[in-house]
Amino acid sequence: MLLLQTLVDGLILGGVFSLAAVGFSLIFGVMGIVNLTHGIFVVAGAYIAFVMWHHGGIDPLLAIPPIMAVLFAFGYGYQRTVIQWATERASIVASLLVTFGVALMLRNVLQMVFSPDFRSIAPAYSFAGVSLGPIRMDFVRLIGLLTSLVLLLVLGLVLSRSAFGRAIRATAQQPLAASLSGIDVRHVYGLTFGLGAAFAGASGAVIGMMLPFSPAAEGPWTLNAFVVVTLGGVGSPQGALMGGLLLGVISTLTAQYVGPAFTNAMMFLVLVLVLLLRPQGLFGSAFGESR
Amino acid sequence: MSTRWFAPAPTLLGLCALALLAALPLALTPFEIRVAQQLFLAAAMSLAWNLLGGFAGYWSFGHAAFVGIGAFAAGLVGTRLMPPELAAGWGMGIAVGAGGLASAGIAALIAFPLLRLRGIYFAIAMLGVSQVAGELSANVEWIGGGLGINLPDAAPDWLAPETYFYQLLLGCLAVTFVVAVSVKQSRFGYGLIAIREDEDTARMLGVPTERFKIVAYVLSALLVGVQGALLAYSLGYFTTQSVFRLEFSLNMIVHALIGGIGTLAGPIIGASIMVVLTQVVLGNLLELHLFITGAVVVVMVLAAPGGILGLWHDYKHHRAARRAGAAA
Repeated sequence: MLLLQTLVDGLILGGVFSLAAVGFSLIFGVMGIVNLTHGIFVVAGAYIAFVMWHHGGIDPLLAIPPIMAVLFAFGYGYQRTVIQWATERASIVASLLVTFGVALMLRNVLQMVFSPDFRSIAPAYSFAGVSLGPIRMDFVRLIGLLTSLVLLLVLGLVLSRSAFGRAIRATAQQPLAASLSGIDVRHVYGLTFGLGAAFAGASGAVIGMMLPFSPAAEGPWTLNAFVVVTLGGVGSPQGALMGGLLLGVISTLTAQYVGPAFTNAMMFLVLVLVLLLRPQGLFGSAFGESR
Repeated sequence: MSTRWFAPAPTLLGLCALALLAALPLALTPFEIRVAQQLFLAAAMSLAWNLLGGFAGYWSFGHAAFVGIGAFAAGLVGTRLMPPELAAGWGMGIAVGAGGLASAGIAALIAFPLLRLRGIYFAIAMLGVSQVAGELSANVEWIGGGLGINLPDAAPDWLAPETYFYQLLLGCLAVTFVVAVSVKQSRFGYGLIAIREDEDTARMLGVPTERFKIVAYVLSALLVGVQGALLAYSLGYFTTQSVFRLEFSLNMIVHALIGGIGTLAGPIIGASIMVVLTQVVLGNLLELHLFITGAVVVVMVLAAPGGILGLWHDYKHHRAARRAGAAA
């Protein structure tokens, strides 16, 4: 029963990991940019949710749409300025360094505005739970999982069904051909980046309810996204979902049976093994161009 | 391609500079000596990182792993395996050597699988290695990184400890620099640069890419391990937190980037600028260090991707071209 409970906890955690990583995956898959600012987007989403809940009494779930709007705008502007300058003047590697530099700056800003202390969001229902036979699930975590799945589904539908999604996929496959067909590639890159940032922000609101966070948490969340995407495969919500669930299960199983201090070690061990044995990720890569 | 192993003029100049630097502590305050220690250590680390990251183009995001492995190997040898009467004198030399060897040994073990990864995947895998090594050092009781290790006093009686470590770190920087120069001028160095420019072509043309990469990786780890061990002794007491620091990994990259990646003087120039900037100019604005480091990185990448040496070369080319234009 302990095993079953651990697995369920892992899957719930994994759902949130997936949501937190899907934006990273999208940006990486479409533009080939490893966005080291990703963790900042996640943490910023959590802080916006915190401010709205703390000062306005607004439920974090209701805060998700405004958070996504703010981060979408920020992501679009960020891509069309700093990142575009870096990729067009220098190289993709330069964009890695630029995002790293911006991450350091923003982390510093967050620390000065919100202090380096840990925060958490505790809505009224945060201690309620549901029991299914011997398995117990926190209400908050269940809501977090459901929100994550719904948002991932929405993103999947946007990418596969809408004209906007088609433009993104076309740009990912062949930027030149896409621009010849009348797509404004720079604009699509900006929108994709905005979309990635928006989903990261939304995950921040969910994470804020489940786990404590601080400005310094941006590093681990960026790494987490990288690991999820590497495990699952780049560029698709399905890959992020699979990678996230797997990572969630690995981390709860390790914490339960090996020791809570070894979850990161196990995570990277699995990552390196996957990179060596199956470099395209466990479930292939929908965009297939970033490796 | 003629390889010069010995060039009289630069060698003489280098020895003079070294002698000057070695005499400098007489004129410096203890605070300035500490800043200089940090500068030497940062420059030496960045140079060692540069062997792999700059020459071969394999950017490691986790070289702090070797700082930590070197420090802990030296700490364990210096406190557990040696009789106390030995530990104070020559014991430090043995322990530091052990630090370098342990670091190189672990690097040799993981080199083959890790170096099959390229680009960002190698970078992140190294980040993983440093994370794992750090967590193991903190959580395995026998290593004792959580509580920390107390090293015996190593400085001789007739020399102030900060001056002693100043000289050691200066020597370490000089050795690292000589290694980097010899690598860059050798067939091995040209092979590494060929790997950076195009690994598959280099391999096709007969460069033993696999072997060269592994040798560069192990050499880099050896140097960083020794530096980590010296750092541990200069700290006296250290924990996992003080040696497995993400900052070390980052600074190695940032310093090389600012000076000029893949050059010999670049890491030293970059380390000098950043250490002086953060420790002296902004010494009282500790809470802004991250912001400034980040801003420097962004500005450098956007304005001068080749670093300061890159800017200098552009300027020289520009001037030469203008002169040629005027003459014609």
